[in-house]
Amino acid sequence: MPISRRVVLERLATETDADSRETMTVEALAAGLDTDERTVEAHLQRLADCELARIHASGRVRVTITGEEILELGADEVVIVDRPTTDTER
Amino acid sequence: MSEKEADQHGESSAEVEYDPASSRYDLFECPDCDNVVLALGRDDPPMSCHDEPMERVTDIEMQVKPPDVKQVLLQAFGLPKAGLDICLCVISEGPLSASEVADSLGYDRSTITRYLNKLVELGLLQRSELNLEEGGVVNVYHSVDLERMRRETLIGFYVWAGEAAALIEDANLTKRDYLEENPDRELPDVFWESFSEE
Repeated sequence: MPISRRVVLERLATETDADSRETMTVEALAAGLDTDERTVEAHLQRLADCELARIHASGRVRVTITGEEILELGADEVVIVDRPTTDTER
Repeated sequence: MSEKEADQHGESSAEVEYDPASSRYDLFECPDCDNVVLALGRDDPPMSCHDEPMERVTDIEMQVKPPDVKQVLLQAFGLPKAGLDICLCVISEGPLSASEVADSLGYDRSTITRYLNKLVELGLLQRSELNLEEGGVVNVYHSVDLERMRRETLIGFYVWAGEAAALIEDANLTKRDYLEENPDRELPDVFWESFSEE
C-alpha cells in the first residue's frame, strides 16, 4: 500500500526533534513505516522542498520547526506550502 | 458534432424537474403574496409569511438544465479553472510545494499563488504563516473546517442566487411596466437585450 507524504512527516516528527536537532537515518524511518527507503527518500526530498524536513549531508534527516508547526495545524486536506519565490522560479 | 460538443450547446443534456416528493430541496410560497423561498434539508416550512406558514410549491411543471458544479462555482464565485483545479484536484496529496502544484497542473507558479489567495478570499482555504528555521515565515494554505466551508459556500451561493432572482424580478417588472405604459405596442423583438441596455 502506498505511503502518503503526510504519514512520513508525522513519523519523522515523532522520531526527531527540531529544537534539539535530533536526527535519524532514512533506513530507520523506512523500517518504522514498513516501507522501502526509495519511497521514503522521495517523500523526504519533497518535504525538504517545502521546508518541512531537513536532509543533512550525512544522510540523516529530521523534522523542521515549520514541519512541526504544519502538523499542529491539524489540517487534513489541501496543504500547500508557498515559500517566497527566488528570481529563478519567477 | 460530438456528444461533448452537443452537451456544451445544451442540445442533448437531460433536463431536471422539481419534484416535491423526491427533491433534495423544497420550494415554499406564501399563499397571499409573491414570496417564494428555497430550503435545503428540511420538510417543514422554514418560515411564515403574513402570519401563516408558507406552503410547499406543488403545482409547477418546469424543467431546467441540470447545473454543473464547475459552472456553478465559476458563475457564483468567479472562480476560474485554475482555482477549481487547485481546489478540486490537489486534495489529500499534501503537503505540496506551490511549485509542485504548478508543475502538476501546468500553471505558472505565480498563477498558483494568485488563486490560492483567491480561494482564501472565498473562504475555501485558510492561510497560515509558519516560522522558518532560518528566520522569516512561509505561507501555508490548508483546508478550512468542513462545516465552515459548507456554510460559506452555501451562503455564498444563496447570495448569488438572490442577486440572480432580483435580476429576473427586475426584468419581469420592467416588462410589466412597459406593457402598461405602451398598451398599444408590442414588446421589442429582443426584449432581454433592451432590458440589459438599460
